[in-house]
Amino acid sequence: MTRHTRLIALLMTTACAGALLSACHVRVRGPERQAGTLVALLPDSDDGLVGRAVVSNASGMAELEAARASTRVAGTRAPSAAAPLAEAEVQTLFGDVLSTLPRRAHQFTLYFQFESDQLTAESRALVPQVVQSVKDYPFPDVEVIGHTDTTGNAASNVELGLRRANVVRRLLLAAGLDGSIVDATSHGEADLLVATPDETFEPRNRRVEISVR
Amino acid sequence: MVVSVPVWAWAADPVAAGRIKVVSGPVFVVRANVAMPAAAGQALFEADTLRTGANGRVGVTLNDDTRVSLGSDSEARLDQFVYAPADKRGSLVLRIVRGLIAYVSGRIAKLSPDAIKLETPNAIVGVRGTTLVLRVDAR
Repeated sequence: MTRHTRLIALLMTTACAGALLSACHVRVRGPERQAGTLVALLPDSDDGLVGRAVVSNASGMAELEAARASTRVAGTRAPSAAAPLAEAEVQTLFGDVLSTLPRRAHQFTLYFQFESDQLTAESRALVPQVVQSVKDYPFPDVEVIGHTDTTGNAASNVELGLRRANVVRRLLLAAGLDGSIVDATSHGEADLLVATPDETFEPRNRRVEISVR
Repeated sequence: MVVSVPVWAWAADPVAAGRIKVVSGPVFVVRANVAMPAAAGQALFEADTLRTGANGRVGVTLNDDTRVSLGSDSEARLDQFVYAPADKRGSLVLRIVRGLIAYVSGRIAKLSPDAIKLETPNAIVGVRGTTLVLRVDAR
């Protein structure tokens, strides 16, 4: 410490003592980390689509709608106005946790021949691809989801969807998948690919989706 | 006479909400107040808490294809997971106690877009897809 800095330090100490509990104390820590939440919306890593999120508490709200839009909430204060988080900061703060996300589920959609429980030729050809895809996943799960169109009542469509799912499940097991990881379920007419009114014949809705994850 | 029947006597077998796919470093699943070391491949249930220590990381895929990961020194609880599309029911509530979290929406977001909430001590995040990152600094 030079004589000069020592003098400045002495002056500061004196000034602080004089100001008694004023804002004189010197901060020695780095950037202050206070209790709070930082939220950032990111584009989808596959298709780049950006969703939407609303961050709210009793004091206010912020809407995130653009890529890397972010808000900070300190304590019980209102969320700050949405502002973009720099790409570099996203990587610094969240690079590790983003790289820990499990692999995205692989989706397949299969169709049946008209009024039949036989898959179309194109869909049958997907079965080996599903089996291959399972190998890309650690501790894989395969969900086979049956769907119907809106013809008929909802309850019987749940059953019909499950029958379709089980047809596909049996094909997957025959192709070599372990039955303990393959689940057949049904969404009935509640999860349409093409939106239609009730009692509408729509072949594109009569399908089986497979999710490998 | 009052007959006391333990809860498990009539509760249906719990259905898993998802599966842990990625584990590195110290990671624990807290279930019924008991913390057990987590392993990749392990099933995760509603009301489970995930907790990581220094340099711990964990990645989970839920049954609706939602994906969630936690960074180091983090904790989050799966407060609610309902995925019953045939009954038009679906909801997901993830309570983030502290740390770093990444979230990528799955099928519930498409079927019940208003039923997904990520809660932190400071705010509630309603998510309509798709990818979100959060840092929660607890005091």
